[in-house]
Amino acid sequence: MGGEWPKAIWPRVKRLVQRRKLESDLEEELRFHLAMREEKNRRAGLAADDAHSAARRGFGNFTLLKERCREMWTFHSLETFWQDVKYGARMLRKNSGMTLIATLTLALGIGVNTTIFTVVNGLLLRKPPVQDADRMMIVSGIDRAAADHRDRAPVSAPDYLDWRAESNSFSDMAVTADDMFTVSGGASPERATGTRVSPNYFQVLGVAPAIGRTILPGEDQAGHDQVVILSDDLWNERFGGDPKALGRKIKINGNYYVVIGVMPPSFHLAAFPTKLWVPLVLSRDNLGGAGRGERFLTVFARLKPGMSVRQARTEMETIAQRLAEANPETNRDWGANVMSLQEYTVEDSGAQAALAFLMAAVAGVLLIACANLANLLLARNSARQREFSIRAVMGAGRIRLARQLLTESVLLALGGGCLGILVAIGSLRVLLARFNWNEDAVATAKEIVMDTNVLAFTIAISLVAALLFGLAPALQMTRRDASTGLRDGGRGTTAGRERHRLQRLLVIGQLALSIFLLVGTSLFVEGFIEELRASGGFNPHNVLTASVSLRGLEYLKPERQKQFFESVVEKLRALPGAESAVVATDIPFDFPGDVQFTVEGHPAAKPAERPHCGYFAVGPGYFATTQIPMLQGRDVTAADTGDSPPIAIVNEAFAREYFPGMNPIGRHIQIGQTGQTGGGGQPVQKWSEIVGVVGNVNEFLGQTRPRPELFVPFAANPSDLARLVMRTRTNPLSMADPLRSAVWAVDADQAVTEVRTMERAIIDSGSGDDLMTGLMGSFAGIALVMAAIGIYGVLSYLVGERTHEMGIRMALGAKPGEVMRLVIRNGMTLVGTGVAAGFAASLALPKLVAANFQLPFRSAMVLAAAPPVVILIGLVACYIPARRAMRVDPMVALRHE
Amino acid sequence: MGIKKIEPGDLLRDTLDMLILKTLDRGAMHGYGIAEYIHERSDDALRVEEGALYPALHRLELRGLLASEWGTSDNNRRAKFYRLTAAGRKQLAEERAHWTRMSAAIARILEPA
Repeated sequence: MGGEWPKAIWPRVKRLVQRRKLESDLEEELRFHLAMREEKNRRAGLAADDAHSAARRGFGNFTLLKERCREMWTFHSLETFWQDVKYGARMLRKNSGMTLIATLTLALGIGVNTTIFTVVNGLLLRKPPVQDADRMMIVSGIDRAAADHRDRAPVSAPDYLDWRAESNSFSDMAVTADDMFTVSGGASPERATGTRVSPNYFQVLGVAPAIGRTILPGEDQAGHDQVVILSDDLWNERFGGDPKALGRKIKINGNYYVVIGVMPPSFHLAAFPTKLWVPLVLSRDNLGGAGRGERFLTVFARLKPGMSVRQARTEMETIAQRLAEANPETNRDWGANVMSLQEYTVEDSGAQAALAFLMAAVAGVLLIACANLANLLLARNSARQREFSIRAVMGAGRIRLARQLLTESVLLALGGGCLGILVAIGSLRVLLARFNWNEDAVATAKEIVMDTNVLAFTIAISLVAALLFGLAPALQMTRRDASTGLRDGGRGTTAGRERHRLQRLLVIGQLALSIFLLVGTSLFVEGFIEELRASGGFNPHNVLTASVSLRGLEYLKPERQKQFFESVVEKLRALPGAESAVVATDIPFDFPGDVQFTVEGHPAAKPAERPHCGYFAVGPGYFATTQIPMLQGRDVTAADTGDSPPIAIVNEAFAREYFPGMNPIGRHIQIGQTGQTGGGGQPVQKWSEIVGVVGNVNEFLGQTRPRPELFVPFAANPSDLARLVMRTRTNPLSMADPLRSAVWAVDADQAVTEVRTMERAIIDSGSGDDLMTGLMGSFAGIALVMAAIGIYGVLSYLVGERTHEMGIRMALGAKPGEVMRLVIRNGMTLVGTGVAAGFAASLALPKLVAANFQLPFRSAMVLAAAPPVVILIGLVACYIPARRAMRVDPMVALRHE
Repeated sequence: MGIKKIEPGDLLRDTLDMLILKTLDRGAMHGYGIAEYIHERSDDALRVEEGALYPALHRLELRGLLASEWGTSDNNRRAKFYRLTAAGRKQLAEERAHWTRMSAAIARILEPA
């Protein structure tokens, strides 16, 4: 037909309107022909009756011919499709209970898939919001000397300048350095991630500011660099989105910067979250010979048209090799790597493994939902066998019948898909609210939005689901030859055997899948339990922590740092509701800094071989506040200052490793960066006396061996970056605002960050492990419930179908208990097979999870836990139909013809 | 659909279309008349099945090659008469030329060498 379409539409439309006329015209035309034929036969000498039937015979199937002509005049395929839809909708309405269950099951299955896909789409699939993102590259260093051969290392300024001058693969290169800034003045001070960028940065990325301008050449020179471009976030926070912010001044790190531009909200690079951009000023030190070893820059480069990433990589590697030969002291073993910004971002998120697991889990949930639906349709179809047999006898082709059933499936699936989107919107909101373990996570959550990709995905999986759950029942239904269906009148005797096998297989598949999911979940739960276990060693309950990083020239003096924190702690202690408060450079679960030391009587041969351990400078009463047990000796007191003899406190692991079998109290260690001696042979660092030993506390989640740690008085070793730790009498979060006020009462320009409870800090250090556990848990839960519904549904159906048989058995003397056992045995055979299959498949999981997540696989206990749970639920699902079978009244059952 | 074996005397769809057009070149005619005419003119060699004739007529009408109107037959019955449109006449000319070329070519191949 093809090309005739446009021309042929109009007559069809016309006939559509004059439907009845088309019908009567056709009838009349063909009747005329028949009459003419009959007349001819009569003239040839046949009797009237014979003439009529001979004409009829010669004519063939009158109705069919009429239909074929009519089809030509109508939008045949469209109209039959509409018929199918109308009929399907009516069937679904008629079985409203089934339709409801089916739609809800599907909505759940499609909803969780859409939710996780939205996250995948946001984190892995979306192109970074820069011009021609495919050509935007990150050029990084490769440190071949490092144990892990890291290939995303930062770059030094001289290397960058040489790369830029010598490479031909790129049209331009820009360079950035991430930093933390304290923004103050006006509203409360805030610590914000910012980026120092070369003046051409925005041009290389091909992005324009929403208002104002970007950085000009020359503004990267010291003295001209006090200009800032704000992110949309910071602009709204600080200036309420007022365009008049341009030209105004904003206080950053205690200095005034002029606002020259604001970036649009869409400009956000997931791998480089930032709230402001200032010019990058490269110092003489950075650019000098020694600066080549100072690697702190990120290089953005735009690939020239026609250049491939591989070509660029080869060229950069050659340049890096030449630089390594020319500068062996700084560049030996250093190479260069080129990868696209998108690739860099995806790897950076580290979310691939987690998302792959989640995607597999939700796919499992959808499969289970489909299996349930397939079973539901199989059961319902058996009730419609008569209808279909009649339609087949009337001349409906197999394809036409299968299409009718598939149309119904697609209707169900699309209904489920629409509801599924609602489910996804809701669950996404809940999920994203929990992306809060650090600033990056919060920024990441903003990337995750439903877009057309997500909608297309939802529609696609709805249709795939329709095929999955609709095809098998449709084929099974239409395969039977029509006469059988009419003969056994819908009451399956042996004819339904094939259908039963399909139903059983589906249930076994469901059970196997839910076991698989359950085992997967329990592995993550173990990681979660580990978090709880790890918090032992101190009391994280009712503890509020916060972090302050001092900004401003005056705080370069250690004396001022000490004064600041001492005044703040004093104010905190005075707060009603505060039990105690203390300052510390680090808290548990925060990857403390490292320090080298020398143990008295054990000098190291070379400075590089000196031992090192975790280092904390803590205020008086630190151990009392955190409730880390004092095993020996004393806590830090107010008397331990820079003027008193230096002291140190060590943890148990330290004592055991460096003073085995000895009492460490009264021994001395020398703490400091190097073991060099000053003039006159005197050590730079004094010897500190060990005055106490405390219990071990974990530094990170999943830590298996405690690490040696030492603690020194904060007053003698102040720092510009420190934590406040406050033990409260009430809900610690209610003390958050008083804590901030206490800090600002001392200096209103300082930002207070990471205000959170100690318990939260522990969970956050797991970077969303608990989220992963929660998600896997809820998916496994949904899967289990769906599988249970599946077993229950199929068994109920089978029992219903065998009511007749049960009646005969009972009439012949079978006891109700025996009948019940029969049904339960039937059901549990399915459960057993499914569990065994699922369990066998799950044995591969622990290794897979351990390889992708730093979760050690400790015991077979978690594996053993899943099968009993499923078996128990299976038993319950079998019991209900079994009891019904037991209560069959033989008389009623036999009359059930 | 599948491939149907073509018996001698069966009419291919395109050929039937051409014969209908040619028949109507003589003037308007109803379906029965067309079938009878082809049957007689071919000395009973070609028999047009009703199952093929009417779909063909409707197809040609839909393509705008034929037009139809209701009239009265010789024996005073109401009948649907088909006639060629301008497009139909053009189509017939084309198909005839094509047919002549084709049959000449086929005849050359079938001739004993």
